[in-house]
Amino acid sequence: MKKTLITMTSITYAMKAKKLLNGLGIFCEIEKTPKNAGSGCGYSLRVKDPPERITAQLDRLNIPYRSVIQI
Amino acid sequence: MINFDNSATSFPKPESVARAVSAAVSRYGGNPGRGGHRLSEEAAQKVFDVRQLAADFFHAQVENVAFTQNCTFALNMAIKGIAQYGGHVIISDYEHNAVARPVYALWKMRGVDFSVAQVTNDDDLTLENFEKLVRHDTRALVCTVASNVTGRVLPYRRLAQMCKRRGICFIGDAAQAAGVLDITLDDGFDFICTAGHKSLYGPTGTGLLVTNGNYALSTIIEGGTGATSAQLEQTGFLPERLESGTINTVGIIGLGEGLRFVRKKTPQAILRHEKKLCDQFEQLLSRDKRVKIYEQNVPRLPVTAFNIADVHSEEVAQKLSQKGFALRGGLQCAALAHRTLATTEQGVVRFSPSVFNTPLQVSALAKAIGSI
Repeated sequence: MKKTLITMTSITYAMKAKKLLNGLGIFCEIEKTPKNAGSGCGYSLRVKDPPERITAQLDRLNIPYRSVIQI
Repeated sequence: MINFDNSATSFPKPESVARAVSAAVSRYGGNPGRGGHRLSEEAAQKVFDVRQLAADFFHAQVENVAFTQNCTFALNMAIKGIAQYGGHVIISDYEHNAVARPVYALWKMRGVDFSVAQVTNDDDLTLENFEKLVRHDTRALVCTVASNVTGRVLPYRRLAQMCKRRGICFIGDAAQAAGVLDITLDDGFDFICTAGHKSLYGPTGTGLLVTNGNYALSTIIEGGTGATSAQLEQTGFLPERLESGTINTVGIIGLGEGLRFVRKKTPQAILRHEKKLCDQFEQLLSRDKRVKIYEQNVPRLPVTAFNIADVHSEEVAQKLSQKGFALRGGLQCAALAHRTLATTEQGVVRFSPSVFNTPLQVSALAKAIGSI
């Protein structure tokens, strides 16, 4: 089964996102973005909900992210 | 040795700070944000937790808190980040060298002009003195919140309002004030620069640069940030943009406990305690006709600057050291302030208590001064 990752710009934003999303009852975990995903040394949020729902929250919270990938 | 030189760095530190530093050395050895392994992630989480604490303390967004080596680094990053490519900067005549020297260096090396505003006992006049120096190319007003020599508090909220009205970046040196006054971004600062090791009770080697994000800083240090590694261009977003190289995880974790300590005690209670000690000290000194206290009747933090007749302040501090008391004589790295006070030759002896000092210690110090 594929997993959904939202790649983040930095560990600080990843942790801020995790804290705020978890506070909203939305599951996410921080993972290192796999090298083959082409995101350099960034971090990702592994999510279970539909990514559109998460990215909408990130936009609302003014937290930048890079992309949504499935691996 | 009884420490009354807490304006330089607070000592002793809370036990919780010592424990956190020890735990950091033995348990959080990964390089935060630099790897996908658990050691790195655990360290990163601890650093993030302290960043969040600091953000809450100063009413900032968590990403707008950058850890620095000390207040001087934070001030250099803010001042040069705003003005290193030209323009004009205004400072006060009470500045520490941490403000005055970077501004002077910009003038000397980069042609950035600067003006020094006179602080007076009349806040309206002080405001006028600052505002009349504003030019079309003024980039920033940089001033201490409270003098490290006498504790004098500048009208920082009103200066912030003026800066906002005139579209000028306002940079506050809160090295002495943070942790004693309730300083936050809500006071109107665009940047708060402070030490972690003074009234925030963290370890030496820690400082903070906190911003509201309204002004982008050019960098004075570039390097690895753990982000955007494929690009030669420095990382563009905070806090990583300002945190090149491995950060001081051990110090930062210790600072976190210092922040918790201050939050629990509250700056208001700490201020009350220290003010009581200062009042006691000054009352005891007032019996000694040889003693001169500086700026006794202006709004001040609990700091007492004094001299004994015309004995050099360094000599007094040395004698007190021999009697078991740590106080600082000389210029306290604040040449401008001493020029303003006309004490460049003699310097002053500075008494600066912390939350850990007691009335008994103050009495003993006053007795020791009486015997000099």
